Amino acid sequence: MKVLPTPKMHQSSAGPGPERFGSWELGVGSLYACLRGQARDALLAIARDFSPRVMAPSELEVLIDVGGLGRLIGAPPAIARELAHALSDAGVEASVAIAPTQSAARLLATQLPDYPISRVPDLPVSLLEPLETLPAGINHRDRRRPYETFERWGVATLGDLAALPAAELSSRLGRRGVAMQRLARGLDPRPFVPDADTPRFIGRLELEWPIDMLEPLSFVFARLLDPLSAALERADRGAVAIHLDLRLTDRSTHTRRLSLPAPMRDPRVLRTLLLLDLESSPLTAAIDVVAIELDPAPARITQFSLLQRALPSPETVSTLTARLSALVGESRVGSAALVDSHQPDAFVMERFVPDRAMSAVAAPGAVLRRQRTLPAIRVAVEHGRPVHIAASRRGLPYGAVSQAAGPWRASGGWWTRSGEGGWNRDEWDVSLASGAICRVYRDRSTERWFLEGIYD
Amino acid sequence: MRAALESLLRARNLDLALTAPGDSTWKPPDSVAPTGHAALDAALGGGLRRGHLSEITGPPSSGRTTIVAGALAAATARGDAAALVDTYDTFDPASASGRGLALSRLLWVRESGDAPRALKAFSLILRAGGFGLVVLDLADVPPATLRRFPCATWMRVARIVEGSETAALIVGAERIGRSARGVTIALDAAPARWQGATPRARLFAGVEPAPRVVGAR
Repeated sequence: MKVLPTPKMHQSSAGPGPERFGSWELGVGSLYACLRGQARDALLAIARDFSPRVMAPSELEVLIDVGGLGRLIGAPPAIARELAHALSDAGVEASVAIAPTQSAARLLATQLPDYPISRVPDLPVSLLEPLETLPAGINHRDRRRPYETFERWGVATLGDLAALPAAELSSRLGRRGVAMQRLARGLDPRPFVPDADTPRFIGRLELEWPIDMLEPLSFVFARLLDPLSAALERADRGAVAIHLDLRLTDRSTHTRRLSLPAPMRDPRVLRTLLLLDLESSPLTAAIDVVAIELDPAPARITQFSLLQRALPSPETVSTLTARLSALVGESRVGSAALVDSHQPDAFVMERFVPDRAMSAVAAPGAVLRRQRTLPAIRVAVEHGRPVHIAASRRGLPYGAVSQAAGPWRASGGWWTRSGEGGWNRDEWDVSLASGAICRVYRDRSTERWFLEGIYD
Repeated sequence: MRAALESLLRARNLDLALTAPGDSTWKPPDSVAPTGHAALDAALGGGLRRGHLSEITGPPSSGRTTIVAGALAAATARGDAAALVDTYDTFDPASASGRGLALSRLLWVRESGDAPRALKAFSLILRAGGFGLVVLDLADVPPATLRRFPCATWMRVARIVEGSETAALIVGAERIGRSARGVTIALDAAPARWQGATPRARLFAGVEPAPRVVGAR
């Protein structure tokens, strides 16, 4: 699709449709415009003339949700032309780009006029840096580290990065690597959250009598959330975050923020999530004032398949994980993700978001039942090989060793200054006369033996 | 055309959508969740029955966890979401991933030894629905603790899962409880496979689980 350029302006545009974007996995239905220029206030003013849903992701950029302007203005090129004319009339120098995702629009806005979206995979990986969401205190070296890694690997373009296998990338660069690959594929790291000047969904209630129990509080939540959900439905929006402010009788304020995995507006689900969150973070005093604010985002459109089993909905998963977190603790519920390390039992817990990822290739081998408290054991050794194991407590396997394979020496982490997290050990796989098959190891720094797990 | 569609539905385990033309007595078979262990699936008539509570029992190193990891891997490979309530936090993601389990599709609940709380988490997951296979690992729980559960506990769990598309599975050292149409899979001590002729060249290559199906209806 081509847009007529006007003087001093850069424009690119493309209509939705995955077939147009090569390896980009772009969704269909959403449409975002990015204005990139120096005069941020002027850009914001022009953007609000077109849509109430505006956000400024950086000092140089303004994003507009133009998904609803099709019937009013026309096809994406017509919207881009209208935006270009508005900028020209206001005398503002800026580039305009339209794409089905925020990331794609922001990447396109950095390029020359009429840069085709099908050639975005040819752009350098370094363009992702301003698009990343990184912790505030991150230093320059950490910020640049994955880019240096990509350079070493010979991954120069967004297309190269998008084509890497996600599981391998995750094991080497962690979550940041996967997030960068999603950006390289034109996917958005978070939903579009409009700036504060756009319509807000706020409910506030001052109580006649303080509340100090969850059950009466649930009725207050219902009274606030029902109209908010109705307002969201009228606006065809769902909530992606809930802000809860509770003013307490001791004059303090209890603030909670819940991020939701997908836009949702069922008041019962929202109320349950708030109550479960409060269960895990008890209050210090009774509640005087309750205020709830919902961050809106376009409602989710789900297309079910006849040929694939339905996965639990995001509402179900959110409520379930909140209930389980309240029961066993937040850090003990989720999905395990392996990390790229030879350290034994190296994994991180991540939020459970069932996706359509395919499984890894199965290989024969035993599965270990790991002892995470690492019980110390007494091991008799003859000619350098374990011959008998004595357990330090009931329930652990013990007895004469009938077969043993090893030792397999493993060490690491010795390069850290404090030596913290280091390991240095000789591992053995042993079969006991009782029938149990275990993995035991001798810590070479302390000369003590431990039971790592039982093969089962 | 019909044959092509039917074979496609069968390949994706969605053959419940098929009907037998002209056969008024035809009834849909119990939907099953294959375990990925060929001999066990053959003995079970395809796999674990969905909508029922089954159990797998055996001593340590009998291959219980290997079969469970295979069943979870088969579930995630089919496109199902799976869940594991791990009462003593003994699940090893690395070795399970080696059996083909897609970890991102497994909800892992790590309990620190509190069996009643693990059972509550198991019930919550079954009530939520939408999972293809949900496993409660009670293998390391002392029998005395399990006997303290009221008799009706497992009946209530069976009622929760009844009629759903979820196959529920309990792992234990001895028989615990299952629903009437569920199965008990018993494992005896399995021989270890060792490679290498000399002690120095020896390598542990895994266990050979030999499951027996007990009391299937």
